[in-house]
Amino acid sequence: MPETPLALIAEITHRCPLHCVYCSNPLQMASPSSELTTQDWERVFEQSAKLGTLHVHLTGGEPLAREDVTELVKSAHDHGLYTNLITSGIGLSEARLDALVKAGLDHIQLSFQDSREAPANWIAGTRAHALKLELAPLIRRSGVAFTVNMVVHRQNVDHLEEMIALAESLQPERLEIAHTQYYGWAWKNLEQLLPTREQVRESLEKISAAQKRLQGRIRIDAVVPDYYARYPKACMGGWGRRQLLIDPSGTVLPCHAARVIPGLGFENVRQSPLDWIWRESESFQKFRGESWMPEPCRSCDRRTEDFGGCRCQAFMIAGDAASTDPVCSLAPTRGLVEEKLSQINAAVISGKKTPQGPPLEQENLWVYRPQPK
Amino acid sequence: MAELEDASQPRLAAGCRWAGEGANRTLVYPEGALRLQETARAILERCDGQRSFAQIVQELVAAYNASDPEKIRQDASAFLERLRQKRLVDF
Repeated sequence: MPETPLALIAEITHRCPLHCVYCSNPLQMASPSSELTTQDWERVFEQSAKLGTLHVHLTGGEPLAREDVTELVKSAHDHGLYTNLITSGIGLSEARLDALVKAGLDHIQLSFQDSREAPANWIAGTRAHALKLELAPLIRRSGVAFTVNMVVHRQNVDHLEEMIALAESLQPERLEIAHTQYYGWAWKNLEQLLPTREQVRESLEKISAAQKRLQGRIRIDAVVPDYYARYPKACMGGWGRRQLLIDPSGTVLPCHAARVIPGLGFENVRQSPLDWIWRESESFQKFRGESWMPEPCRSCDRRTEDFGGCRCQAFMIAGDAASTDPVCSLAPTRGLVEEKLSQINAAVISGKKTPQGPPLEQENLWVYRPQPK
Repeated sequence: MAELEDASQPRLAAGCRWAGEGANRTLVYPEGALRLQETARAILERCDGQRSFAQIVQELVAAYNASDPEKIRQDASAFLERLRQKRLVDF
């Protein structure tokens, strides 16, 4: 029997006023016309709560782009779920925030693209930074639990201390410093986003110093870039083990990126009950447990800790979703990651790819995620 | 930061609440959940922002018929301090 999915990631829409170059949405986004209805989501929350889910993360795109987000929060809350709104803030007003809190919202996570306005707007492809700064005090005053999320990469990580200071001034309970994970649009823009080895080392030192300094005031959780790690991350806490994701059109996925894996079909909550999808469907069983594992994972002591790492990364980098995550130092394909790292580190050090901030002239530096059609 | 004192009134921090019933009762908070052992749960369930720490210790001593109240006080204090570090409890 599989374990209980503790968290449901509800990507309620792929629409978003921001165009962040590191967005984790798939390149093929769900069209607005394919989105689940309010009633569909209410049924999902009921089924998910029965499965034993504790948390629901309402995300997108921008979840506030859906007019019924307050109803969705209320429904999830009424089914006993812990509700988290992962948002850019765009679309939030004092009245809407009040309504969300009354509906039972437990937690808001507000993301920032930088501490400085021009680079932040450059990364987001939208003038959003100033508005976020106005919204943060409203969120703080509302009494809802508050996380500030800072997404870092090569273009902004050099002023991480300034970003931490900004977060501190907004007085959240929690600060998440998330090194970009390379999926979706971030994978497309990897050449411009992947930090250097030195940047990563420095950032980890700064994070650790801030954790000590702010202990008991702000809990700092860090997401580290696995390309530079010795061992892979326990992606999603293991395939089909702890979390599931439902995309705007109702497709149920084991993670954000699983659609990149060829030959794997996914179920939809419009056609099948969620508990069957979780327990029995082929896509959720495919990499669950250990029977799919190749060597060196199969006999590795760490297999119960990292579950062989990330299946999507194994496909994206090594071309085989059933191989050991290539970021693992024990993986036979680790050389592919090393090659990527050497190229980028050499180019940055030689000045060809220096972090540079917003260009004065429009350059074709990276690809902004568009609106889904 | 304030020390935990007899008069302190510990409470769950913003965004932390209970979910589930009975033995399945779980503390849920941003990006996490904690299923606690019975004694830990007994401490935390009394942290309602009304009871003082002294009162909580007194109740625990009575509930567990404990012979060493000072040990209970120390254990509960260390436990609540740990949870405060994680921003799950305020006092």
